[in-house]
Amino acid sequence: MKAASIQVILCKCCTELPAVLNVERLRKLAEESCNVVSVMMVDAICDGKGLPAVVNNAKEAEVDRAVILACHKKDIDPALFKAYRRAGINEFMIEIVNIREEALLPHASEPERAQLKAETMLAASLARARLLAPLEKQTEAMKTKNVVIIGAGASGHAAAHAAAKTGAHTILIEKTGKSLKAPGIVMPHSQVVGAKGYGGNYQLTIKAGDKIENLDAAAIVIATGGGWTQLKGPLAKAVKDAMPLYKLHEHLQAGSVPKGPVVFVDTPDPAGKTMKVQDYAWDDTLETALQIKRKARETQVFVIFQEMRAFGLSELAYKEAADLGIKFVRYDKSAVPKIDPKEPTDLIVKDFAQGDVLSIKIGTLVFSSIPANQDNQAIADALRIPMSVDGGVRRGSIQRWPVTTPRPGIFVCGSALFPKSDEVAKAEGEAAGSMAGEFVAKGEIEFGGSVAQVTQEKCSACLTCIRTCPYEAPFIGTASKAEIKEQLCQGCGMCVGICPSKAIELHHYTDDQIMAQARELLGGDF
Amino acid sequence: MTGRKPKVVGFCCERHGMDAAVLSARSGKGFDASVRLVQVPCTGRVDGMHILKALEDGADCVFVLGCLEKNCYYDTGSIEGRKRVDYVKQMLSEVGIEKERIEMFNAASTNAWMFPEIVSKMVALAKKLGPIGGEKQ
Repeated sequence: MKAASIQVILCKCCTELPAVLNVERLRKLAEESCNVVSVMMVDAICDGKGLPAVVNNAKEAEVDRAVILACHKKDIDPALFKAYRRAGINEFMIEIVNIREEALLPHASEPERAQLKAETMLAASLARARLLAPLEKQTEAMKTKNVVIIGAGASGHAAAHAAAKTGAHTILIEKTGKSLKAPGIVMPHSQVVGAKGYGGNYQLTIKAGDKIENLDAAAIVIATGGGWTQLKGPLAKAVKDAMPLYKLHEHLQAGSVPKGPVVFVDTPDPAGKTMKVQDYAWDDTLETALQIKRKARETQVFVIFQEMRAFGLSELAYKEAADLGIKFVRYDKSAVPKIDPKEPTDLIVKDFAQGDVLSIKIGTLVFSSIPANQDNQAIADALRIPMSVDGGVRRGSIQRWPVTTPRPGIFVCGSALFPKSDEVAKAEGEAAGSMAGEFVAKGEIEFGGSVAQVTQEKCSACLTCIRTCPYEAPFIGTASKAEIKEQLCQGCGMCVGICPSKAIELHHYTDDQIMAQARELLGGDF
Repeated sequence: MTGRKPKVVGFCCERHGMDAAVLSARSGKGFDASVRLVQVPCTGRVDGMHILKALEDGADCVFVLGCLEKNCYYDTGSIEGRKRVDYVKQMLSEVGIEKERIEMFNAASTNAWMFPEIVSKMVALAKKLGPIGGEKQ
């Protein structure tokens, strides 16, 4: 094997790095290290100006791997990897060391220790870089251009429109039989009952009416929305004719005014623990309360809440509500509203602000909450995606991928994540729809890279990996040994850590690489 | 043993663990310099061997930092990681090494305040226990 030739890039992070660390010492250390053929300093790797020089330097020095001392790997511009790829250096041969957040920023008060730590980190990453191996990603053509959208509510509708704009075939799956106008195909009375495959080539099993149908999908958008429920807890026993907010909407639209006094409660179960008070509710609650007052000024309206956060310009509704005489009562978790035991139509609330105990006669009790959809669990089981504790679908990362799930090709939007208002749900639907469309428009899926691989000779077919993998990537192949379906593998390495025969290896995070890095890091004395 | 600096190794998962560390640094929180971070894709990737090798190579304490168990990016990854750590703990107590030397923690990527706490806890423990097989301070 040819000896490694490493290029070391020192990113000065404008002036941050030289302010604390001795850059020349780092540079000297890098130059003196084994296998390093070129050391370069750039002002900032993130602005892209230094990129051509870096890549030209890499070409001239004929390096095959690079160590970049910069900041967090996730914040490095993908353009860097592209530029290196053009120079013939594989993206898995680039090692990024986060000296900014691991040495520079937290230890700025101890420059000498920070310097030693940075030097040790450089040595450790060089040790790791020497063990890196190039990995090629493979591609597979998508069989269809279908984007399947589960749920035809506000967010699902927006997603269908957004996905159709990108040229994808949209298929809307709706549980109920409501009539819809949406681009593409609408399948009423249907539900997803099973799914196979991976991002780009999913095979869904759909129960349409009484028939079971198979459907190929390149991408899936989950827009199941929220589910309405009944009152819960002690209130449910005492109040029989409470209605959810949307029922009241229907009454108001039909022209009838509910019997006063109308009492709005923030959650169906004030005494419960899991029901969260969500911001979505307040816009609607305020708007509905105002509608009642505008129609019938004499009707008394109470809004009972724990905390109120109207969204954006909806705050203007507070003023109008105050002018029209809507009464707001804030309660605390320690004294939840309850029904008077002597008078079953009276609601007793302790006003948190004033300290008074109020007794409100209930004409109509309205509660506002969209808890998670009951169908989420079944859909998550079928698609094998994780759920959140509240019963919603979980997204990849709230900052980086707000509408994607950890599985490639599956997107999620609207109240399927957690309850939210109509506008936000629509915006998320658009985002998820266009992301699904973009995913499909690529026409092919990329897989491989940092994935697990089984060394067949070592495998004892104990099935431990098959039980451990959350993505069902390992399977027993024709040789009666475990194999890993690369398209399904997400590169978490759980099977690698647990394999009793040490037969599985995770590329880019091999045992040698991890242990070499740890050993070098422990070598420094700081 | 004056002047000996404690050595703590932290295996952080790429998703939430490392993000929590990075966020704590970015939000201006300092933490003890003697912590060495090794990035792994998921705490389920951490093998008992990695922890033992780190102890052998001179680490006083090792911690593994993963996602919250109910919010793990890889679904069951941090649960697997905890199992692995518990297994090594048992192994250590069998050979007569303090099992407190290794610990598993969970943090969300936004829990910036947690990372300095974890580090100071482990560094204090490393100072208290001293090197493996050495005299206690």
